[in-house]
Amino acid sequence: MTYTTITTTSMELTLPNELGYELIARDAVAAFARRLGMSVDQIDDLKTAICEACINAIEHGNSLNPDLCVQISCRVEDECLVIEVRDQGVHPFAPRGEPLSIVEKLAGMGSLRGMGLMLISQLCDESGFVSCDDVGNCFRLAFQRRQAARSSR
Amino acid sequence: MGKSDDISHEPVEKIIELRLPSKLGYERVVMDTAASLARRMGFHTDRVESLKTAISEAVTNAIEHGNQHDAAMKVVVLLTARDDELIISVADQGRKILDQKCTTSSPKIADVLETSDKGGWGIWLIRELMDEVEFTIAPSGGNQVRMVIHLEQ
Repeated sequence: MTYTTITTTSMELTLPNELGYELIARDAVAAFARRLGMSVDQIDDLKTAICEACINAIEHGNSLNPDLCVQISCRVEDECLVIEVRDQGVHPFAPRGEPLSIVEKLAGMGSLRGMGLMLISQLCDESGFVSCDDVGNCFRLAFQRRQAARSSR
Repeated sequence: MGKSDDISHEPVEKIIELRLPSKLGYERVVMDTAASLARRMGFHTDRVESLKTAISEAVTNAIEHGNQHDAAMKVVVLLTARDDELIISVADQGRKILDQKCTTSSPKIADVLETSDKGGWGIWLIRELMDEVEFTIAPSGGNQVRMVIHLEQ
């Protein structure tokens, strides 16, 4: 297992690949964000987004394999809190064209599931899969700290 | 979470690893993460509060004493969830190695009241609050405290 260089304002978390542990990640990352002085509203968005990203990693990237793990890193980058969620890539992410809209899903044109990435994109300032050195998928979420207390950097 | 129908009856354990900078305030991230896990394991509220206090003391010691407030040094926390207990290991990078005599002696109130520094109660508190406590040298060479809290059914 490799880790990125830890800076003075960064945290790394490794979780078992089991549904339910996304809630532990949610509470850990929320506590980290509170240390940075982020607002309650932003932290609420962050909590939902991190849960969705972890569930994707557990269910899809790691295919629910209990022998694998999910790694989360949090760091301050410029004016953003950047969170990366890494799985071990049993199932590499492959984009499948334009996703159905909520209206289309509600009209029965597709599964009601599969809205996680769209939800995350609505809650973060930036989100998406990024390339990484390790085997596996790396999903990056960035939150602008415009409402954060600057003294916490 | 942490339970299993594994027919081998081997102890089931799930491990969460947390790496944090040595900055006072980040002990709260560990407190919230461990409390989140303990609540989901079924620990009673007052046991969760005891756990948070013990963790706060252990991580603060690692930041202040073991790592001497060097924010670039890491504090590594392992939370091991078993069916009947939660094990918490807090390790620093050992800029200053803990005098083993400090880990067994109890401060005397009368003596402490005579001094300007009213600190020094952390290890005593940890021993009072946790079911098992052990001070060792971490594989990395730093100080390590291993605390166990039993889950009473």
